[in-house]
Amino acid sequence: MSVAVAPQQPSATERPAARLRAGRSRQDLVPALLFLLPAAFGFVTFYAWPALRTFYLSFTDYSLLAPPEWVGVQNYAEVLGDRRFWKSLTVTLEYVVINIGVQTVVALALAVLMHRLTKSTLIRGVLLLPYLVANVVVALVWYTMLDAQLGIVNSGLELVGLDPVAFFGETSTAIPTIALVNVWRHMGYTALLIFAGLQSIPSSVYEAAAIDGASEWRIFWRITMPLLRPVLVLVLVLTVIGSFQIFDTVAVTTKGGPIDSTRVIYYYIYEKAFQQFDFGYAAALCVVLFVILAGVALAQVKILRAGDSDLD
Amino acid sequence: MKKTLRLAAAAALLPLAVGACGSGDARSGQADGELTYWLWDSNQVPAYQACATAFEAENPGTKIKIEQFGWADYWNKITTGLVAGNAPDVFVNHLNYYPTFAAKNQILPIDEQVEEAGISTDVYPEGLADVWVSQDGKRYGLPKDFDTIGIFYNKDLLAEAGVDESTLADLTWNPEDGGTYEDLIAHLTVDANGVRGDEPGFDKSKVEVYGLGLDENNGAGVGQQIWSMYALSTGWQFTDENPWGSEFQYDDPRFQATIAWFKGLIDKGYMPDLATSRAGVSVNDAFGAGKYALSTNGSWMIGSYFGYDGVDVGVAPVPVGPSGERATIFNGVADSIYAGTDDKEGAWKWVEHLASADCQKKVAEAAVVFPSLPEALEVAEEEFAAKGVDVSAFTLPIEEGATHLYPITDHAPEIAAIMGPAMDAVLAGEADASSLTEANEQVNALFQ
Amino acid sequence: MTLVQENPTGRLAAPSAPAQRKPRRRGIRWQRALAWVALAALVLLTLFPFYWMLRISLSDNRALAAGAGSLLPADLTFGAFRRVLGLATLEEARAQGGSGASIDFWRYLWNSVLTSSVITVGQVLFSAMAAYAFARLRWPGREAVFFAFLTALMIPPIFTALPNFVLMQRLGLLNTYAAIILPFFFMTPFAVFFLRQFFLGLSREIEEAAKIDGAGHVRIFFRIILPMSAAPLSTLALLVYITSWNEYFWPLLVGQEEDVRVLTVALGIFRSQTPQGSPDWAGLMAATLLAALPMIALFAAFGRRIVDSIQFSGLK
Repeated sequence: MSVAVAPQQPSATERPAARLRAGRSRQDLVPALLFLLPAAFGFVTFYAWPALRTFYLSFTDYSLLAPPEWVGVQNYAEVLGDRRFWKSLTVTLEYVVINIGVQTVVALALAVLMHRLTKSTLIRGVLLLPYLVANVVVALVWYTMLDAQLGIVNSGLELVGLDPVAFFGETSTAIPTIALVNVWRHMGYTALLIFAGLQSIPSSVYEAAAIDGASEWRIFWRITMPLLRPVLVLVLVLTVIGSFQIFDTVAVTTKGGPIDSTRVIYYYIYEKAFQQFDFGYAAALCVVLFVILAGVALAQVKILRAGDSDLD
Repeated sequence: MKKTLRLAAAAALLPLAVGACGSGDARSGQADGELTYWLWDSNQVPAYQACATAFEAENPGTKIKIEQFGWADYWNKITTGLVAGNAPDVFVNHLNYYPTFAAKNQILPIDEQVEEAGISTDVYPEGLADVWVSQDGKRYGLPKDFDTIGIFYNKDLLAEAGVDESTLADLTWNPEDGGTYEDLIAHLTVDANGVRGDEPGFDKSKVEVYGLGLDENNGAGVGQQIWSMYALSTGWQFTDENPWGSEFQYDDPRFQATIAWFKGLIDKGYMPDLATSRAGVSVNDAFGAGKYALSTNGSWMIGSYFGYDGVDVGVAPVPVGPSGERATIFNGVADSIYAGTDDKEGAWKWVEHLASADCQKKVAEAAVVFPSLPEALEVAEEEFAAKGVDVSAFTLPIEEGATHLYPITDHAPEIAAIMGPAMDAVLAGEADASSLTEANEQVNALFQ
Repeated sequence: MTLVQENPTGRLAAPSAPAQRKPRRRGIRWQRALAWVALAALVLLTLFPFYWMLRISLSDNRALAAGAGSLLPADLTFGAFRRVLGLATLEEARAQGGSGASIDFWRYLWNSVLTSSVITVGQVLFSAMAAYAFARLRWPGREAVFFAFLTALMIPPIFTALPNFVLMQRLGLLNTYAAIILPFFFMTPFAVFFLRQFFLGLSREIEEAAKIDGAGHVRIFFRIILPMSAAPLSTLALLVYITSWNEYFWPLLVGQEEDVRVLTVALGIFRSQTPQGSPDWAGLMAATLLAALPMIALFAAFGRRIVDSIQFSGLK
């Protein structure tokens, strides 16, 4: 039985061991590189190289169909004065805040509910269903369901005596609507990630809490949350970065409108690159966004201390 | 350790090396007499497949491979293909895209071949062939089919309102009071209590059926099936000259008065507001559900409008405007030859065949689009009539000489990026029509 | 003490439970009822759009607009499914508002299964190896290299797609399985990050013990780390599989030929046909549901495995 519990106990013995091993840090270099080799190959070929190329292109005037011409920092100078870029950035931020805020709370609730209530694979499977459907189709289904005149949701609202809402059509509701549609697609997926984290919390901790007569609420805040921190950091970093990349839903529903209310940053970059063939400028936008995202990710990791859980 | 570092360096350099030396031709199976042809409209695939079969019979040893992709995927794939140097030999091109492709030498001019083959562009309706001559004075396509704008109407809703269909051909319009056209729209609008838009007590906050539908697409600076037919009928033009104008005229009082009138329909409750129209269902689906009595749209939508179960549909010509004439944009597509094709001669032969009366008649028989060649158009009209669709409303403006070219200029995508939000703002009531003067300045600044 | 009994991994503690029963049952029961209601509401919310897709897929495309307000299919028909499976004739398909495009469902299904499976195996294995190097080995520059991997998450796919497409074309790999698979085969930043976080949490005790027994890194990785991480590994494998299955843009670019075309690309034809034309709604939804079916089957099989593997690692 002691063996059985051990693998579930994170980092309890890690720190002394780490100290012991600090001096041997070089010793692992060769095996580390060997273990990294395949992934590093994929990373360099399919990520780093295109990224470097994009970085280079951001200093050029490149129309995709003719060779790039070096223009120095001109693209970046233009980005700074580009009103639509800043607007698209605020729109994206609004989206991320709503999307991540709601999604994290709902997914966490779902994961904890599943963890504490039932181990039914069926329920977990059902919650993962939306993730099985392509983004574009999810967007289209909700687009028809939420229509102001013919949508089933508005028929429902009318039944209870409410006025129809043009969810995707109003400048004020379009972004929240898109954010919530994507919460629908990702909440089960996010819940599953969190759920995987919950399962790595040793059941002995809950047993102890139960013996002390702690309420579910108290157990959640005092045990679950602190122990879940590494996984929550993971989930937050991943979902926040993913959330910034919102594109498909906008592309098939509002196309950036009405007015500029849903022109999110990726959609703006896409328009510049593939509709206006201003690839150099789009690359510069991309680099700026990259810097912002890297900053956000670094801050998240630092603030939430990704490596540690409080199980000591 | 040195060894692993060198290994890592090699891994890092590999993609560079591959990129540098591997420029060989990867278009397998294309040099052996096979031509690839792309189009986006799936409805036309069977007709063009028939053309290809005939072409292959005439040209033994040549094979045509037809591939179809949906509109958005289509342009992404064309663009990547052009960048990577393996676009299809021949593809259907659009006025929004071809000037850029031509300017970047991605598609071939066909003047010599046209001359050699003795093809006269005079056979096409006036102006249709001119739009495929780019700014460099060279021709990049032969017009295949064309489209115009008409008014689709719901026969049952008209009958309920006591409107005689035959009167629809005589409608007049002006930007001040909307003329008999607005009278009709008002009369066809019905609120939840059954009160019509032109009757006292009409409740515009609870409209059951709108007289006129509003398109879900953002018309940007063209408004092709949305407002262009009104604005152009005032005598206004998009640009100083067309094609290849360099000064837009969105600051013209006639244009702004037209847009103000159009927005007025929303305020009066005769047309759904911008938010409603953009909320999900397309204008044609809402029409099919009986929400709109009238809906202006292009001839390319005939199949959709006439396809709804339980809706009896007719088409009327666009109204006569202050200039004393109707107006509609006249637009079309053409086939382009990719500059990187390894069989220029074969590609031209195929393009020539596509533009021929033989092939165009096959397309006409499918009754999906209007072929540009008059003899093929006749076939199409008969085929449409056989399906119970009278398309004279679409061809009438051509007979009357009331067609206008799609505005063809440089910077089209940038202009759309400026005008799209600007028009939205006016229709949403967040800006006055006079705000379009400022947008016009931004547009014209692109040409400085 | 009911708490423990409801705990998925709490079975072991159950026999000793009755002894410590506290008089809080009432409050807890009420809380649990509320929790069940919340869960049920979320499940319903998840399912309703699927019902809607089913409804549309069983409708006649041309009757959909008029029947918009109804909860039942408009003009019940299996026509859409027949169209998707290529069983309907061209005329039949066009008469129901379809595009007339038929697809070779089974071949594309096989292509999807093959590419997704290979991607999943490669990506999970290689990412796990990388994650092991990042989480369990000590070497100079580790954090910097890891952060570089992490930043790869932030590169928009539209910027990697073009250079990668050119690369595949120059390698002569267009329209091969290899082209569809390669960019995802070696790693994704997500997979590396995900596994690293889990590996960080593993106890060092067993690892150290194995080391003393003279086990090398390879042995430790395959015999200790991987089995101990069965739950996160199977979760990741499932997510990778779904993601590969749903991949659309990349296979559309590099794998349009019939021989290698995957299901998503084949189903793309049911979407936007003409610039402004209406899509074949019923066909699109039928296609989507059919494409999701294999995944649902997979989850039914795999979901059980996840639970099993957790219990296995807990009881060993």
